[in-house]
Amino acid sequence: MGENAVAGNLVEFDHVKKSFGPNLVLDDINLNIRNGEAIVVAGPSGSGKSTMLRCINGLETIDSGDLRFDGKSVAKAGKAIYELRGDMGMVFQSFNLFPHKTVLQNITLGPTEVKGVSEKDSKERAVKLLERVGIPEKADSYPADLSGGQQQRVAIARALAMEPKLMLFDEPTSALDPEMIREVLDVMRDLAEEGMTMVVVTHEMGFAREVCDRIVFIDEGKIVEEGPPEEFFKNAQSQRAKDFVDKILHH
Amino acid sequence: MGELWEVLTRHFPEFRAGFLVTCTFVAVSFLIAMVVGTFVAALRVMPVRILQRIGTFYVETFRNIPLLVLLFLSFAGLRRAGIEIGRFTAGAGSLGLYTAAYVAEAIRSGVFAVGQGQIDASLSLGFTYPQTLRRVVLPQAVRTVIPPLGNLIIAMIKNSAIIGVALGLANDLLKTARIINSNTLQTTEVFFWAAVGYLLLTIPATFTVRYLEKKLAIKR
Ligand SMILES: Nc1ncnc2c1ncn2[C@@H]1O[C@H](COP(=O)(O)OP(=O)(O)OP(=O)(O)O)[C@@H](O)[C@H]1O
Ligand SMILES: [Mg+2]
Repeated sequence: MGENAVAGNLVEFDHVKKSFGPNLVLDDINLNIRNGEAIVVAGPSGSGKSTMLRCINGLETIDSGDLRFDGKSVAKAGKAIYELRGDMGMVFQSFNLFPHKTVLQNITLGPTEVKGVSEKDSKERAVKLLERVGIPEKADSYPADLSGGQQQRVAIARALAMEPKLMLFDEPTSALDPEMIREVLDVMRDLAEEGMTMVVVTHEMGFAREVCDRIVFIDEGKIVEEGPPEEFFKNAQSQRAKDFVDKILHH
Repeated sequence: MGELWEVLTRHFPEFRAGFLVTCTFVAVSFLIAMVVGTFVAALRVMPVRILQRIGTFYVETFRNIPLLVLLFLSFAGLRRAGIEIGRFTAGAGSLGLYTAAYVAEAIRSGVFAVGQGQIDASLSLGFTYPQTLRRVVLPQAVRTVIPPLGNLIIAMIKNSAIIGVALGLANDLLKTARIINSNTLQTTEVFFWAAVGYLLLTIPATFTVRYLEKKLAIKR
C-alpha cells in the first residue's frame, strides 16, 4: 500500500467526470474500492462501464475530479502512469493477446520489458501461472491455436505476471462460447478467493451473486445503486436497477 | 537461336554496363523511397495534427501527379532555377520521391491494421508508447506491409525504364538496348536481352518478398 492511501482503499473515485465530446459518459462518480474487495460493475450498454475501468488505469483521461490508485493520483500521474499501470492488470473482452508471440512470450513480455525481471525468472513464473490457469501444455502455442476460453485464461495469466495489486476485467466472458465461460469464471473466482482486489464488468449475474462483495450499478454515467449482491437482487431501490435485474434474471 | 546468342556475346559489355546503371538507379531510388516513405508514414501516424497534415500533403501531391510530369518538372524546373542537376540525380530523385508516397501509404495502413486492442493491451502492461510501437505494433505491421511493399518495388524497377528513356538517361539498360538496336536492327534479339535484364531484377525481388513473407508469417 502506498503511504498516502486512505486506510484500506486501493481505488478512490472522487467526483470523477468524463466526456467524449458533448457526450457526458461519467457523471460525478464517487466510489471507494477497498483492498481485497471484488466489485462487479453492471449497467446497460453505453452506461460508461468500460470507460470507468479504462479511467482507473489511465487508458482514458478524466476531465475533472480525482482518481487515486494506491494513494497516488492517476489523473495527475504524468509519466508515472506507466509505473502505476504495471501494478494493475487488465483483461479485455476480445482477449487482445499478442498474435506474434507464443503463449509463454505473451506472459513474459511485460515483466521483462517493464519490470526488468530476468528472462529465466519470468519464464519460471509464467510456467507456474499457466499451471494455475490450467493450460501448462500450451506454453509454446500461438494464440491463434487456442480456443477463446484458453486465450482468455492466458490473458489473465499475462496480467497476473506483473504481480498486480488490482485486476480489471471488462466483460471477460462476453466473447466466449457458453461452454467456455465456466473455465474463465472459475479462474476469476479463485483469484477473488485468494484476496485479489478486482473490478469486474460483467453480465454474469451468477458470478456476481456468488463471488463479488459488492455490485455497483451505473446508468447514464451515474452510480444509481451499490450494495451487496443479495441486497441488489432482492430489493433494488431504483426503478432502473429493478428493471435491469428483471431483465437479466428472466433472460 | 544462333542470332540470339550472337547478339548477347557481341554486345555483352554494353549490356552489362547498361544493366549496372539500371541497378544503381534502382538502388538509389529504392533507398530514397524507403527512407522518405518511412519518414512520411511516421508523420502521418503521429498524434500531432500539423505533422499529419504535412504527411498527407506529401502523399497527395506525389500520388496525384503523373511520374513523367514530375520528372520533367524537377529536371527542367531545377535547371531553370539555376540548380545544376544531373539526369541521374533528377531521375532517381523523382522516382524515389514518387514511390515514397506509396511506401508511406503502405506502411501507414500496416500500422493502422494493428488494432487498438493491441495497443490497449500493451499500454495496460505499463509499456510506454515507444515500447508499444517497437514490441507490439511494428512487428505486426511489418508482416502486413511486406507484400504491398514488394509490389511497389517491382513497379519501381519497371518505372526506372520509362524514366531512363524520358530523360535520355546516360546508358541504362533500356537506353543501351535502343542504341544497340539502332546499329544492328536486330530488334527482337536486342529487346529480348533487355527483358531478361529487367527480369533479373524483378524475379529476385519477388522471391525475396515471398521469403520474407514466409519468414515473418505468424508461426503456428
Ligand atoms: N473513444 C470514444 N470516443 C467517443 N465516444 C466514446 C468512446 N468510448 C466510449 N464512448 C461512448 O461513451 C459511452 C459509454 O461507453 P462505454 O464503452 O464506457 O459503455 P459500456 O457501459 O462499457 O457499454 P457496453 O456494455 O456496450 O460495453 C457510449 O455512449 C460510447 O459511445
Ligand atoms: Mg463496455
